[in-house]
Amino acid sequence: MGFFLEALIGGLMAGMLYSLVALGFVLIFKASGVFNFAQGAMVLFAALAMARFAEWLPQWLGLESKLLANLLAFAIATVLMFALAWLIERLVLRYLVNQEAATLLMATLGISYFLDGLGQSLFGSNVYQIDVGMPKDPLFLFESVFEGGVLINQEDIIAAVIAACLVAALSVFFQKTGTGRALRAVADDHQAAQSIGIPLNRIWVIVWCVAGITALVAGIIWGSKLGVQFSLTTVALRALPVVILGGLTSVPGAIIGGLIIGVGEKLSEIYLGPYVGGGIEIWFAYVLALVFLLFRPQGLFGEKIIDRV
Amino acid sequence: MSNKKIGDVILDVQNISLRFGGVKALTDISFDVREHEIRAIIGPNGAGKSSMLNCINGVYQPQEGSITFRGRTFRGMNSRQVAEMGIARTFQNLALFKGMSVIDNIMTGRNLRMKSNILLQALRIGPAQREEEAHREFVEHIIDFLEIQAHRKTPVGQLPYGLQKRVDLGRALAMEPQVLLLDEPMAGMNLEEKQDMSRFILDVNDEFGTTIVLIEHDMGVVMDISDRVVVLDYGKKIGDGTPDEVRSNEEVISAYLGTSH
Repeated sequence: MGFFLEALIGGLMAGMLYSLVALGFVLIFKASGVFNFAQGAMVLFAALAMARFAEWLPQWLGLESKLLANLLAFAIATVLMFALAWLIERLVLRYLVNQEAATLLMATLGISYFLDGLGQSLFGSNVYQIDVGMPKDPLFLFESVFEGGVLINQEDIIAAVIAACLVAALSVFFQKTGTGRALRAVADDHQAAQSIGIPLNRIWVIVWCVAGITALVAGIIWGSKLGVQFSLTTVALRALPVVILGGLTSVPGAIIGGLIIGVGEKLSEIYLGPYVGGGIEIWFAYVLALVFLLFRPQGLFGEKIIDRV
Repeated sequence: MSNKKIGDVILDVQNISLRFGGVKALTDISFDVREHEIRAIIGPNGAGKSSMLNCINGVYQPQEGSITFRGRTFRGMNSRQVAEMGIARTFQNLALFKGMSVIDNIMTGRNLRMKSNILLQALRIGPAQREEEAHREFVEHIIDFLEIQAHRKTPVGQLPYGLQKRVDLGRALAMEPQVLLLDEPMAGMNLEEKQDMSRFILDVNDEFGTTIVLIEHDMGVVMDISDRVVVLDYGKKIGDGTPDEVRSNEEVISAYLGTSH
């Protein structure tokens, strides 16, 4: 039982991280109807900026405090992501208003390759560390209930709390502010939104900024766990099944989809792995996504698409 | 008709020509719209009515001609800038925000008038809270006016067609426009819905003093509610005047009776 719980919690934590990346997809899709293929590249770019500036700043400024260096690096990375959002709108999206979704998708694919290259030529292509001082020691819980207790990473708990705060803030932003309302309006219909005076360009900058911050947070958490390296972009591929499962238009869907996939991967690896020869973790998410595409293409929480014929 | 006061020319369309490649959608169209009047643009299918509206709304940029609104000539403006000047529109094929509730849809119409910054909005403090409440009150007023109180929280995608058309009108009204462009407001409606919509259009014109430019395919309804009518056929203007003048115009009769009807 203790072992099952441990696997379950481990899965939930991994799922939380998938959710964070998936959230970036959902945000941009919700607000602009664009499936942003570049989200993975944005995670890498943000994490690289964070890791490298945290390393460079103490050298340049002779800073002693690690906390200060991290905070400054975080601020710089945030500004970089904002600048990136602005540039993407200015140079790419502005010319694609009212275009087909497929055109926009291809554009983001291009942005993704560009960002991969730019990030690595600016910041280098080695493996870098992000150390934001998260406690690494494992905790033992429920020692009185089970023999040996349940082992949990403190780091994971902090990551989960951060992710939860981010999600709460985003929900308030989308549901409770006039700007959030304008974002949802733009997502539904570009043309109509413009005709009532919603500035499409500014809305797009805002939503890419928000997605940039989400990417930064995801990048920091993933980066401090696994190190910052090119393979971070493949995390985004892991998040694809998550959005298919949860529904492309649903913030809670991204969270729950991530958790289901995280837990499913871990548990199936442990309990089914021995029968099929292991390696389930690698394909589990994709197979689940395929099943969903067959039987519930809008995902768990997505809006059902009804076409008037 | 009613004894409302019709003012000076508020919107002046001069010599508009619009081409899509080799297709001439509009050729040398001129007409004016006076303050507080209901001005209809009618014509058979494909006459260029919607193209005309889209030129005024800034969706299309005509190759020739000019449009002057309250003394300001606009050229190369997009629909957002046109909206800022005080021109609102509704859509022929509903362009509502389907996933959002009726209230949220109409609230988006207040977007241009929202002043407080986004942080204050999120935290709901002080002026932002008061502003939201004031806008909300205005929107409730519109909802009462359009008699859709019972549906205020319903996602618009789930409403019947006739009601969606009302929400579309409500969203445009929320902008408190000086000129309201209506693109076939009665298309696809049954007789009862048409009568309701006619009543709303007359009431908007009467109560808010909004100038209305409306496109209609169906001559009957339009003739009853419009002050003046422009008739288009194959992208050219073939008639302009009061409903009675238009009705007795030879060219108009042949365009309608001789071709499609």
